[in-house]
Amino acid sequence: MMRSRRSYIVFTVILVLLAGFFIFPFYWLTIGTTKNVSQLFQKSLLPGRPSHLQDNVSQVFAYQNGVFWNWGLNSFLYAAVGAFLGVFIAALAGYAFRKYNFIGKRLLFVLIIAFAMVPGFATTLPLFMLFRDLNLIDTRFAVLLPSSVNIFAVYMMVTYWNQVEDEVFDAAAIDGANDLTTFWRIGLPNVIPGFITLYLLAFVSIWNNFFLPLVVINSRARMPLILGITTITDPQGFPVYNLTLTASFFTIVPLLIMFVSLQRYFKPQIYMR
Amino acid sequence: MTWISKARLKATLKAYLFLAPFLVVFIGLVVYPIGLGVRLSLYGQRGARMWYVGLDNYKRIFADSMFWQSFKIPLFLLLVQVPVMLFLATMIAFLYETRKGGGPVYRFIYYLPYTIPGIVSGIVWSYIFSDSMSPLHPLLSLFGLENVKLLTRANVPGILLVIILWQFTGYTAFLVYSSLIAIPKEYSEAAQIDGAGLWQIAFRIKLPLLKGPLITLFIFNAIGAMQVFNEPWMLGNLVVLPLNYTPAMYIYNSAFSQGRFTYATAMGVILAVITCAFSWYILRSAGRQILGRRD
Repeated sequence: MMRSRRSYIVFTVILVLLAGFFIFPFYWLTIGTTKNVSQLFQKSLLPGRPSHLQDNVSQVFAYQNGVFWNWGLNSFLYAAVGAFLGVFIAALAGYAFRKYNFIGKRLLFVLIIAFAMVPGFATTLPLFMLFRDLNLIDTRFAVLLPSSVNIFAVYMMVTYWNQVEDEVFDAAAIDGANDLTTFWRIGLPNVIPGFITLYLLAFVSIWNNFFLPLVVINSRARMPLILGITTITDPQGFPVYNLTLTASFFTIVPLLIMFVSLQRYFKPQIYMR
Repeated sequence: MTWISKARLKATLKAYLFLAPFLVVFIGLVVYPIGLGVRLSLYGQRGARMWYVGLDNYKRIFADSMFWQSFKIPLFLLLVQVPVMLFLATMIAFLYETRKGGGPVYRFIYYLPYTIPGIVSGIVWSYIFSDSMSPLHPLLSLFGLENVKLLTRANVPGILLVIILWQFTGYTAFLVYSSLIAIPKEYSEAAQIDGAGLWQIAFRIKLPLLKGPLITLFIFNAIGAMQVFNEPWMLGNLVVLPLNYTPAMYIYNSAFSQGRFTYATAMGVILAVITCAFSWYILRSAGRQILGRRD
């Protein structure tokens, strides 16, 4: 009894220390938003005194005539629209795999999964060449279009649709519902929880995608936050640490709010990195 | 076409109507670009001029020591970061199990870093290790270590290790924990009756049952290690890193700093082939899982 009590305490200490490690950068980022550059250089672990939070925030929003607003709106546009398109298209495809015994089913599924394994890296460079020929470089479509392909969601949607019972479709058939109605009114409600989970995962991964906009966007006005914040400099081109930190903070706040409020939908599905 | 029933044809037509939106974006934005990439990799290029050279790019890449040196960091991550992370994640998952309800508060806190983009954790951690701002300097001076330079090029692999462990260990522990609670209770109860202790049950009984999920996690992380870009890219703002610090950085820099597009595409093809070789295992089991049912 003594032994297990002691090990319980040891485990607690380990868990608390690890929690400290995982929390620390969040803490440091948050207090960083209250400091100007000379306060940052003091290397203290306490919030800046006097606080420069308001200064930093107003400077971030005033930076380059308010380009930060553009970045935020772009991020929302790319993530909200791209995620919806990707998951909705995947829901349609998943329905086809569940409902119909069609020619080429097996082959198509294997092909889709096989292409899912090709890293995004290998497609981004050719996409750049393709978009250059189509005059799409430095337009919002260059980010939106590739974001609307969500192969992972197709794979997951096939498994979600497979969990919908045959009775659901039989009942729809008896009611004389056509295929589109069956999908829209009867099928879709059954996969909505999975739809939301995939939407949130896609939203986060588009919000966080740095490489695609880095390659296809040049104008600051069309950059998403994740790319924009890496371009913050003073007029001479030197980094402005306090502004970069404050902007980084605002970049992750929407993610943290989403994660905290919608925690039950963020079930880890499979490893995505 | 007589061997295909009319009903099957009708089903096929309907199915492809539902599949059409996906097929359009999939072919246009994934399949075609990959084909284009493979084709471009067979071309020589100077400025806007391009001409067919066959496998010349590949021959040059195989002789390009800059390309192969760029794999040092992925290999380091594969051999050090991934095993360390899987070990830590498994230990943490066992610790969750000792808590009531699996320690939801700990799980929540440990998961948080995963929600943060690699660029932001790159920014924050590179500042935390920087000479001008590091909050670690006051701590180190307590131990008599004044003015130690933390962010040097020699230390970057270690710093990458910290950043990536910070980002992914909690998430991985969550995944291991999900597999852990799926193990039937009877196993550990039987062992308990035989007098096995907590850690004996963990290592002798549960760990072998986690082999499958751990192999899958290892492969996903190996793929991630091959493509690492964002974190070293951000660290590169505060410490000078070579153009070929990782394969992904070398590909990006070859294309956009040096304008060697077709050469970069060929390197992309090689990197994709290496990654796909890793994913073969997962591809097989995923196909089996889905296609084994309802067809």
